[in-house]
Amino acid sequence: MKLLEYIAHGAAGEAEIMVNPSHEVRRVEAGGRLSLVTVHTAAGVSSLEITVGEGAALHLVEFFCGGAVGACRVRQAASSLCDITSVVTGSAEPGYSVGLDGAGAENNLRGAFIAGGAERVRFGLRVSHNVPKCTSNSLVKGVAGGNAVCEFNGLVYVAQDAQQTDARQTSRNIVLGGGARIETKPQLEIYADDVKCSHGATVGQLDDDAILYMRQRGLTEAQARRLQIEGFVRDIVSQAGPLAEALAEELTAKLEKL
Amino acid sequence: MLSVKNLHASVEGKEILRGIDLEVRAGEVHAIMGPNGSGKSTLASVLAGNPKYTVTEGSVEFLGRDLLGLPVEERACMGLFLGFQYPVEIPGVTMANFMKMAVNEQRRYRGEEPLKAGEFLRLMREKSAVVELDSKLTNRAVNEGFSGGEKKKNEIFQMAMLDPKLAVLDETDSGLDIDALRIVATGVTKLHTDDNATVVITHYQRLLDYIVPDVVHVLYKGRIIYSGDKTLAQKLEREGYDWLINDYRE
Repeated sequence: MKLLEYIAHGAAGEAEIMVNPSHEVRRVEAGGRLSLVTVHTAAGVSSLEITVGEGAALHLVEFFCGGAVGACRVRQAASSLCDITSVVTGSAEPGYSVGLDGAGAENNLRGAFIAGGAERVRFGLRVSHNVPKCTSNSLVKGVAGGNAVCEFNGLVYVAQDAQQTDARQTSRNIVLGGGARIETKPQLEIYADDVKCSHGATVGQLDDDAILYMRQRGLTEAQARRLQIEGFVRDIVSQAGPLAEALAEELTAKLEKL
Repeated sequence: MLSVKNLHASVEGKEILRGIDLEVRAGEVHAIMGPNGSGKSTLASVLAGNPKYTVTEGSVEFLGRDLLGLPVEERACMGLFLGFQYPVEIPGVTMANFMKMAVNEQRRYRGEEPLKAGEFLRLMREKSAVVELDSKLTNRAVNEGFSGGEKKKNEIFQMAMLDPKLAVLDETDSGLDIDALRIVATGVTKLHTDDNATVVITHYQRLLDYIVPDVVHVLYKGRIIYSGDKTLAQKLEREGYDWLINDYRE
């Protein structure tokens, strides 16, 4: 696998690397930093629990395939920052639960899943704004081809006292052909009144106008389709740091097999 | 170079082109004018091979081949370029990457080796200067967040990169301020040689202050009802279309 080769050559830098972990607990002390890369390639259930202390930063990159089921729970104290990149190529069930427990905590999640053949993906994401003045921004993109069935379940929960919450959650999807299916359920549950929350979901086909445009410049229809899907998912790796290129290559390799 | 004979085309069962005849030779610049809804953009789309339109009658020959039987990309690789009236945004695909694929696909079609990275970058720099396109734009996603003027300049930039035999520019001047118009028009003029040809579809005479056409055609209700030299465009600007189209009103 390209990603593991990249990691073996040091692409993950200082990050702690876990391949097929089972149950892991980490704590980032106040003001500290942790960079973590997990690679899930085998069917099996794993869990990851991370507490991010006050003013601390967590940078998490996760990769899933091969039927892996992973539950990731992150609790963030005041003024902490957590960036998560989650890339799924093939059957998998990643599930994220983020608790924003201290004012000024910020969470950014970027996810992408691609499934083909008879693969199944369930992507779960729950972001709980438990206290005021926290920010969350999630964008998850999905591509399904063949007879793949995918599901995105998103929830933004804003507690009664969590005023001045700024929460965004977006699910964007492309379905290729009649056999594939993506079900997306982004939900908001808001009990505070002074909040900025937005959620949105789209499920679409490829953009025919864009394909025609590219063909008019000389690209074949297959090239134009691939380039468009690649463009659609590739921006998801933008916050993956040194592993961005490796993840983008994994996505491209998966697209080529769809 | 291009020979259109009795071309009829329809969209969703509605006939838009109703017998177009047009001959374009190498070295020529043609302008196609006409009121809204006369079929100008449809003609451009049909030439490019947009599958939304169905050709019901007539023929189009391009460089000696039956154009209508060819897929969109093969028409492009033969050297037919369409400057889109509404250039499409393609999120996540950079201009540089897109152009590299396009240039190399067209080279492959001609049996040429793909450009090396350095050669390609040099070509990009050289051609973006033709239309004074900010070189930063080539690192951005195709047309995404481009202003109206940048999108149109970007069309001419792509034309410069691909060096087509025949460029059909569909209302490239619409929505441009006077500076952008000058840059776009000067770009088109710079790219013009004795071996290529340009068909400019336009609404306004003002573009033709910069691009001097050899022939001006008036398209109305799906037919070319009148052709003349460059003075026709000026007359249309002064007097409108009424004196021409009165005979064709139903």
